[in-house]
Amino acid sequence: MSKAAYTGPLELIGCDCYRIPKTYKPGMRVDGHIYANEKLLEAIRQDQAPEQVANVAMLPGIQVASIAMPDIHWGYGFCIGGVCATDPDEGGVISPGGVGYDINCGVRLVRTNLFLNDVQPRLKELIKQLFYTIPSGVGRTGKYKFDPAETRRLMGEGPKFVIERGLGVLRDLDHTEAHGFIEGCDPQLVSDHAVKRGSEQCGTLGSGNHFLEVQVVDSIYDEGVAKVFGLELNQVCVMIHSGSRGLGYQVCDDALASFRNCAQKYGFHLPDRQLACAPVDSPEGRKYIAQMRAAANFGFCNRQLLMQQAREVFAAVFGRSWEDLGMELLYDVAHNIAKLEEHTINGKKKKVWVHRKGATRAFPAGHPEVPEAYRAVGQPVIIPGDMGRASWILVGSHGAMAKTFGTTCHGAGRAMSRTAAKADAAGRKIDRELEHRGVIAMASSRFGLAEEQPKAYKNVDDVVEVVHDADLSRRVARMRPLGVIKG
Amino acid sequence: MYELFEHTADLGLRAIAPDLNTLFAEMAACLMSALVEDPASIQPRKEYTIQLSGSEKDYLLVDWLKELLLRFEEDHVLFATFDVQVSDTGLTARIRGEPVDPQRHALAHEVKAITYHELKVVPTAEGWLAEVIVDI
Repeated sequence: MSKAAYTGPLELIGCDCYRIPKTYKPGMRVDGHIYANEKLLEAIRQDQAPEQVANVAMLPGIQVASIAMPDIHWGYGFCIGGVCATDPDEGGVISPGGVGYDINCGVRLVRTNLFLNDVQPRLKELIKQLFYTIPSGVGRTGKYKFDPAETRRLMGEGPKFVIERGLGVLRDLDHTEAHGFIEGCDPQLVSDHAVKRGSEQCGTLGSGNHFLEVQVVDSIYDEGVAKVFGLELNQVCVMIHSGSRGLGYQVCDDALASFRNCAQKYGFHLPDRQLACAPVDSPEGRKYIAQMRAAANFGFCNRQLLMQQAREVFAAVFGRSWEDLGMELLYDVAHNIAKLEEHTINGKKKKVWVHRKGATRAFPAGHPEVPEAYRAVGQPVIIPGDMGRASWILVGSHGAMAKTFGTTCHGAGRAMSRTAAKADAAGRKIDRELEHRGVIAMASSRFGLAEEQPKAYKNVDDVVEVVHDADLSRRVARMRPLGVIKG
Repeated sequence: MYELFEHTADLGLRAIAPDLNTLFAEMAACLMSALVEDPASIQPRKEYTIQLSGSEKDYLLVDWLKELLLRFEEDHVLFATFDVQVSDTGLTARIRGEPVDPQRHALAHEVKAITYHELKVVPTAEGWLAEVIVDI
């Protein structure tokens, strides 16, 4: 098993940036760049994630470098925390593995006008109500049911479809990446199996590392930007982490099956079958892109419905409407996606396919895709940590545009495998331990808390320090968890 | 004989068996052990048939596990016994299981997908070994 430590080259080439030269392995078209400090690098070397960065550097049409963020860890095919951009004009490929099974897995942050003192006395009741109202865990279906035609409309219209049915407000779209709708989708190309898997799951959290957290702002690092984002000290927020559920998994699965012979057909060598890809400009590539965009739109719908259910629970617990509680969407951002974006490469503007697999878009001030309300300061970047320590709000910066195709990290990154975390938790009561730390945690499965315990993750503060120092995004505010519900 | 093995963010399924038929059955049982806390809680109440075509054994294994996962996801059925006949052109399986009953089946992991990463179906001195990473 390739759990073995990585022993290849990692050369420091700039502020917190380490290089795997393209001479490391035959077939690498560009260097690998891993953003990390010495402390994180030690952990990163412990498994095969750097090898995966080198493998991604072999993809046809890849530009500049195969890039990894400081929360990098061993994935399947691509590492988690990986970024690569391919140029269709140079035979560039699209890779379902570079997006992941959970297409448009992402995070949204909802503000409230409540403060710690308002929420603390009712915290247990609040978390309990959230847990019993919002479906989480394996096989749980939601209260919203969509027939196949409606499920295809969710993909074809995005959250606007549910907002028009009273589940949110149109201004939610202004604060969702791509306004919650990626053009060029084709829901009719999405398989019936995918539609069936998704039709009962819109508005459900799922399992694994997905969660809904009630958090409090415990430090402000940039007063000016925090003010623009509507954040202040001791303010309570809700963070939601989920994706496109079974629908997205099935879209990826369908594409990987149809890509099985593409390497041979189009004449390129791949070191790992999970890196399966097809030229952007090929029947297989075009079909996957249209399906992936449809699944991404479904992912935005899922988080919209999760937010709406949270708003309703808050309204019931605090006896005021969600509007009165100021529960406005701060921002929603995808961290598993591929998008066609314009970037400057060697002084020339190019449209490239940016794959972000466990990595977050971080566009700077002035970028036209940053919502108007934030354009003067930059795009909000939401970084969930673990359920015991912290999460962060950062802001996009120009360094990311210059170095990482406008991308930063997406979380803390795992430090322990699931099996190791479960073994470590044997005989302990993780929920009790968290309660001692002031966090109320409720999960549908015993494994949920054990495998996701804080120790299983790197310290998100360390990850954020790297992306801040490397100017991939800048610190704005830190939140600590008060309560969490999980699958 | 099967076991789950560690992979940073996901899970590995591994089985060894004297022949391919048993290997595919063991890998199916291994998948069930990732889905439910106690696979012994699944009763073989109803029979289902699966037929798949494919000549490459590793891809056939992925397709087999994908089919079981899809039936769990779409029809909410768990499986207890697997009678698998693997041939040069595909497989035929008679499997027995029952619908998920939340009172008796404690679900453990959401298996998002069966991946191709480090996929192995290889002969060994004693028979066959298979490994698959599943996305959690």
